[in-house]
Amino acid sequence: MNRTAWKIDEEKLRQWVQGLVDGGDSVVAPVEEDGLTLFRPIAAAEHAHLEPSGKTRWSPKEFLFPRSEALYRYTLKGDSVEIRDPDVPETRQVLFGVRCCDAAGLVRLDEIFLSGTKDPLYAARREATTVVTSACAAADAECFCTAVGGSPVATEGSDVQLVPLADGWMVRALTDKGEDLVGEAPATWSEASADDIGRIEAIETTVTDQIARSPIQKEWSRVLEDGFENASWDHLAQHCLGCSICAYVCPSCSCFDMNHEANAWCGEQCRSWDACTFGLFTHHASGHNPRETRQQRYRQRVLHKFSFTEGEDQHFRCVGCGRCVALCPAGLDISEIVTAAVTAIQEEGADGAR
Amino acid sequence: MSDAATNAVQSSGAAAVPEGWQPHIVALVCNWCSYAGADMAGTTRLEYPANVRMVRFPCTGRMSPLMILRAFEQGADGVLVSGCHPGDCHYVQGNLVARRRFTIFRSLMDFLGVDLRRLHFAWVSAAEGHKWAKVASQVTAAVSEVGPLPRFSAAEAWDSPQLPSVEGTGPEELSAADLEAIQTNLRSAAAELLTTGRVEKVVGYRSGSMPGQMVPVMVTSAADTTVLEWGDGCVNNLAAYATTALEDAAKVALVVKTCDLGAVTGLIRESQIERDRLRLIGVQCPGVRHGGDLADKCLSCSGAPHPICDLVVTVDGVRESCADPDVGVAETEDARDVQIAHLETLPPDERWRFWQRQFDRCLRCYACRAACPLCYCSSCISEKHRPQWVPTTIDNRGNGAWNVIRAIHLAGRCSGCDECARACPADIRLDLINRKLALEVESLYGSAGLDPSEKTALIDFRMEDAEEFIL
Repeated sequence: MNRTAWKIDEEKLRQWVQGLVDGGDSVVAPVEEDGLTLFRPIAAAEHAHLEPSGKTRWSPKEFLFPRSEALYRYTLKGDSVEIRDPDVPETRQVLFGVRCCDAAGLVRLDEIFLSGTKDPLYAARREATTVVTSACAAADAECFCTAVGGSPVATEGSDVQLVPLADGWMVRALTDKGEDLVGEAPATWSEASADDIGRIEAIETTVTDQIARSPIQKEWSRVLEDGFENASWDHLAQHCLGCSICAYVCPSCSCFDMNHEANAWCGEQCRSWDACTFGLFTHHASGHNPRETRQQRYRQRVLHKFSFTEGEDQHFRCVGCGRCVALCPAGLDISEIVTAAVTAIQEEGADGAR
Repeated sequence: MSDAATNAVQSSGAAAVPEGWQPHIVALVCNWCSYAGADMAGTTRLEYPANVRMVRFPCTGRMSPLMILRAFEQGADGVLVSGCHPGDCHYVQGNLVARRRFTIFRSLMDFLGVDLRRLHFAWVSAAEGHKWAKVASQVTAAVSEVGPLPRFSAAEAWDSPQLPSVEGTGPEELSAADLEAIQTNLRSAAAELLTTGRVEKVVGYRSGSMPGQMVPVMVTSAADTTVLEWGDGCVNNLAAYATTALEDAAKVALVVKTCDLGAVTGLIRESQIERDRLRLIGVQCPGVRHGGDLADKCLSCSGAPHPICDLVVTVDGVRESCADPDVGVAETEDARDVQIAHLETLPPDERWRFWQRQFDRCLRCYACRAACPLCYCSSCISEKHRPQWVPTTIDNRGNGAWNVIRAIHLAGRCSGCDECARACPADIRLDLINRKLALEVESLYGSAGLDPSEKTALIDFRMEDAEEFIL
């Protein structure tokens, strides 16, 4: 990667972001709202948390895959129906201050929405989006990106990456989109030194050391799939409450449901987030539910993250952000459960203790 | 963002009434009295404003708050609910039960920032054509004065009002040695119950993977009781697991804090579990911490285990208790009442914006419902779609309808354990909503406390219930 890296102070960084806002880009950045940090479109660079400020409560996936979006809208006019397509974004969207795990999560979403039949709404939004990641200076207690093949300085899904230095930031443009975003700004920036670039490795070592969770092995995919019927699932997910916090805060969960909202004059066909942890997700019209218990549903989520892959070289669908671990009201820890399930399957056999 | 119904709901706030604007008012009327009353007004050739559109119901008792919410969501600027006078109900007591429900719903709407000039209730009999015309005029005048309904969306670049900080001392501090002693006593109490066969399962806490975290665990053998832990990480209300734990066990012991007991009582009261299949192990509580700070609910709690538990575990040991439930009048003070009082001093417009911002964050993950021991319905109203009363779309309308109806379904039943607010990943102040309604119910109808034989307020009525607001 022979692209340039620069070193800038916080003031210059804010000037750059302000320039993007002024230039008409829709800049989405972490902001503080009622005591929690969330991604929101910002009107001025001063609103954004530019410092490595801790994780946002949920991932920025809603800016590519909204919680709810209309696929078409209609209005009844006399005997005729007027059908309208939803608006597609026209301005560039900049996701700013995204953690590296979240950026990897967006690539996992691409795999769903852009492979095979492309989802036109997602594709348009993705095309218009440039991702500026911010490397992590420290790991939170729930973080485990390194355990699933990620890294606090990973570049997957990043167009531009910010790396925190002792006295400012290093900016790296990693893709054409990224170079385009940086644009003319570097006229007043200085190039990063070898020391600054060495900081990337230093951060990786420091943060990796802070992550205590043991690595999840690639070959466990098969073990988990083979041990589908193992009884340990019932016991491991015994206290799952059946909400969907894990799926909704997850950077890579992509399930949705179709719903219709209408009155006598107009209506819309919507797709809204849905989650495999809900009983209704697989509830058949006949009344039969192939995933009847919460434990079966939780197993589905874990296996979809770590097991149901098409090829050996595919990534896990979990990027290790740890939000589901930190926010689960029942304290379920996906990395702990995977390890425990694999141990149980290996000890008891695939359908052990049934 | 849904625009299925936005046509009529466009305005920047309550301040300005646009020139030439006419309010849309939806009237929900009972078939037997008010509908006939309106008919009477017509046949008597009385004039009243044409802004009121009627929807006929069999009885006010059939009118769910969801239907009123739906009217607002679909663009009504005001709603009028009208039915038979007390004592005249075609179904004897439908309007009496409805009266309590409307009273509580009205105070919730007020708390959420709906200007009460938009929401009216009236008793109009079949013979009162004149009254109908008068009520319709009054309501139209009131709604005209307040203007179009504000937007169902979070205001941009707006600072939420700062709520006053909550204060309180919380439970008596317990040293590490004290907690160790309690934990040892708890383990031996649990082991004893399992060894003697008095229960088949103990629902308690074990340590989790996050620092200081405790997570629910079900223990079925005395040997396994060593996983049981006790400390300020024991946040979950284990009553949420009572029903499932009893599915495959004849008797179950629950480890409970005093704040969990209301939910246990609620489940017994509503015939979800049987008291004699439960052993309650009340444990001396150091207060629970969520995100580092002592939980707000703990600030005015002593932490002492409640005497209605079968076993009481303290630093000193384990003793049998099982006092009569009527000793257990629930605490009425709460540190957060100052925050509720502060919100109530704000103009409705500000409150509306405060709650719209909160609801804007709602992801519809239903963790509030999942964590709530008293949200036990096997099929929730939010999942019904014929008709679909709660919009599925994850936007302010649907989110508001969901949070409002959940609060209403819990009014008079909520035990204040705050599990919904703790579970909420968006930090929506569900605790304030539930507490507000609990205060309202208690001041008007009294509290059912911890006695499972007492009826809760909203399934009951008195002929003389207050109704000052009803026209």
